Amino acid sequence: MITSYELRVTSYELSVPSIVNPPALPALPFVKLTNREAEGSLSKGQSSIAMHSSQPQPTLLLRGITKRFGSTQALDGVGLAMYPGEIHALLGENGAGKSTLIKIITGVHQPDTGEILLDSRPIRIGSTLEAQAHGIAAIYQEPMMYPDLNVAENIFITHAGRGPLVNWRRVYREAESILDQLDVQLDVRQPARGLTVAAQQTVEIARAISLRVRVLIMDEPTAALSAHEVEQLFSLARRLREQGVAILFISHRMEEVFSIADRVTVFRDGRLISSAPRAEVTPEGAIRDMAGRTVEQLFPRSNTVQEETLVQVRELSKAGVFADVHFEVRKGEVLGFAGLVGARRTDVGLALFGVEPADSGEILLDGVARHVRSPNQAMALGIAYVSEDRRALGLSLPMAISANITLPTLRRYLSALGLVRGQAEAAEAEHYRQRLAIRAPSVAVEVGKLSGGNQQKVMLSKWLNTKPRLLILDEPTRGIDVGAKAEVHQMIDDLAAQGMAIILISSDLPEVLAMSDRVLVMREGRQVGLFSRAEATQERILAAAMGQAGGETVA
Amino acid sequence: MNGLRRWLRPEQLRELSLLALIIVALLIFGMQIENFLSARTFNRIAASVAIIGVVAVGQTLVVLTRNIDLSVGAIVGFTAYFMGMQLHANPSMPPLLALLLACAVGGLMGLVNGLLVAYGRIPAIITTLGTLAIYRMLLVNYADARTVTTDMVPAWVPGLAQANLFTLGDFGLRPMVALALAVVLLFQLVLVYTQFGRRLYAVGSNPEAARFAGLPARRTVLLAFVLCGALAGLAGFMFLSRFGNITVVAGQGMELQSVAAVVVGGVNTFGGSGTVVGALLGAVLIDLLGQGLIRWLGISEFWRDAILGLLILLAVASDALILTWLRRFWTPKETRLGRPSESVGPTRERRHGL
Repeated sequence: MITSYELRVTSYELSVPSIVNPPALPALPFVKLTNREAEGSLSKGQSSIAMHSSQPQPTLLLRGITKRFGSTQALDGVGLAMYPGEIHALLGENGAGKSTLIKIITGVHQPDTGEILLDSRPIRIGSTLEAQAHGIAAIYQEPMMYPDLNVAENIFITHAGRGPLVNWRRVYREAESILDQLDVQLDVRQPARGLTVAAQQTVEIARAISLRVRVLIMDEPTAALSAHEVEQLFSLARRLREQGVAILFISHRMEEVFSIADRVTVFRDGRLISSAPRAEVTPEGAIRDMAGRTVEQLFPRSNTVQEETLVQVRELSKAGVFADVHFEVRKGEVLGFAGLVGARRTDVGLALFGVEPADSGEILLDGVARHVRSPNQAMALGIAYVSEDRRALGLSLPMAISANITLPTLRRYLSALGLVRGQAEAAEAEHYRQRLAIRAPSVAVEVGKLSGGNQQKVMLSKWLNTKPRLLILDEPTRGIDVGAKAEVHQMIDDLAAQGMAIILISSDLPEVLAMSDRVLVMREGRQVGLFSRAEATQERILAAAMGQAGGETVA
Repeated sequence: MNGLRRWLRPEQLRELSLLALIIVALLIFGMQIENFLSARTFNRIAASVAIIGVVAVGQTLVVLTRNIDLSVGAIVGFTAYFMGMQLHANPSMPPLLALLLACAVGGLMGLVNGLLVAYGRIPAIITTLGTLAIYRMLLVNYADARTVTTDMVPAWVPGLAQANLFTLGDFGLRPMVALALAVVLLFQLVLVYTQFGRRLYAVGSNPEAARFAGLPARRTVLLAFVLCGALAGLAGFMFLSRFGNITVVAGQGMELQSVAAVVVGGVNTFGGSGTVVGALLGAVLIDLLGQGLIRWLGISEFWRDAILGLLILLAVASDALILTWLRRFWTPKETRLGRPSESVGPTRERRHGL
């Protein structure tokens, strides 16, 4: 809480260093605050926050912002007002449109419609450079650092147009003075490599200050921080708030949002659902707003779960990644893995497939403990993993459909002489092309030429062809169109009906709910809930995923 | 037309267009230069392409895996000298054993490259730049200021480069040329029909996907380097057979010639696509242009090298532009479904630029 903060007088003075004084920038309102020394300590009512309560004028105002990517409506007429000296929290499920909004504010994307006003004047933010010139900066979960440059260089790296020569003494002096203002102890000559994430974020904040930040976006900055570091980051954020910076804070941790935000806004499916002062919002209410998603026709899953348990996972852990994951999957069962981005669901999948094996814990197949240390072993045990990243991890784009499908199983298509039997290979590929309705003129076509949905089907063919008993699907419908999505859902149902055990990792909550027999919820590497089909609701899953309430029930 | 489309894929068009270029160059030189289209020219080009072609086949294997071997020139030089000395000391060595020994020596050097790249995780360009110098130094040390001369080796060695297997009018097929053609054919079949061949493409076009598919990526890269070294060793023997006189600078520059042949031949420097037949055609085109231009315009070797450089740049540019255009033409409209996904090419190129 901020009711009793005290001013450490000198540190609030924002003596804008001369090195960061390009003449083009207008004088900034918070520079007025520099003479606080003379006024002595201020009470809250007299600070910059008072300015806005008496005459509220947002620093940055967005109105009717719309953005569409292909068939996805990422943002649908949203508005947002950011006031000086206010920390504004933005909440929303994966895919609610938060990231798109940030990218529009920072100039990465241009809105299709709508306007952006800075100090009531309409502006156009054509690039990140222009955003910077307007005093808009962002820090992310993964700080953008130049690891080989030192702290001071990292702070001033984005400064352009100050002559061809670098005055190193001045660079270091001014870097030090900015860090002093933030009350941070950092050696400005130290290379950024090896700094903790928290220290790197501090450097980013210092960079933002050097650019005379007026609007600061903090996109899940706390995800990789320890509790102590979070507290330090928050005190920095509060300090910037004192100086009249408008802060947009994005986090999946409810307790953080409610400890620091002045206003809470919820997005869902690209629309603004609610926006209210913190005092008028409860965590339960916010989750309800996030979850209340209209589910278009649910896929009708048939009940295919068999008695026999295929996979048991006990206390699976990997240091620093996930811990104590335990579940079982029966034959014919679809176990959904729900959670927010960064919940480490994919890492559990990779561990089961042996790509990044777990450190401890047990994986039992048919009741027999198995060690899975490589994809080859996993495949031999009948485990297949369909990656979420088709391009980077899944497919060899310049190669033919048939060659991609047979890549993990090529041994089966060798003749006695060790030569690839092209006809057998093509016949198998042709079988999958028809079965999964891959739209391509022939299986000799390069995969790179197919659309996303068809590439996804090639991926599925490739792994189905390993004849798995446990199929791990990681975001199988991300980025593919509605028709292809329905086909993938149909296929999941068919495979389960054939007795395959399926783990469905998906960030699409309605999809998880529709397709799964049970839903396992993860949050920051921990298993925080296991719901039966009857118990699983959007609210319950989201509450667990955001650390509000857990539920451990086994169907 | 549709039948033709089915039969010929844009990837093969690369080889066909090279063939067309070779024919055009032959026609132009034939009209401009007296006696150009003669057995003598043919033999000269065939003899030099045979050597560089074998090296280029090995280079292709390595480049397919997104690596490069700059040490091949030094391996050629070392084996040529080494084999010359061995045959001098032991003239009764059977020819087959001599060939195998040459391959083994080169393969050993390739093994060192492969181990450093695949298991030592040192970028190929750095590794082989280092071994290039080291292998050359080994040669200098081993030679100790002596030179191999034609009269030091058994008569069958130079005979391999001069005798004819059979003749057709003035044209004859030298054993060495036949050997080179056999190597090209063999490795083309290996690329198309074997598991190893498939792995080369898979590892080069998407290493991560290869890992997820459980392919032994490191072993595949290692084997590519070993084979490249062995083929360079074979080329070293052919070099000895052709020139007879071997000094410590033998084979210098072959690393660049082989890379040029591979690139002009349409092998993607970022791995994953290309053929050894293409590399051979690349070698032929380069040599033909070199010979022709020297005789036609009387240009110097430096000019020839500059033209070689220009060819490489053109080949790389055409990869990006022409092939895209051709593919669009080749894909009938009704099968162009949805938006073809963005190629991974550009980002990959930025990451793995040579």
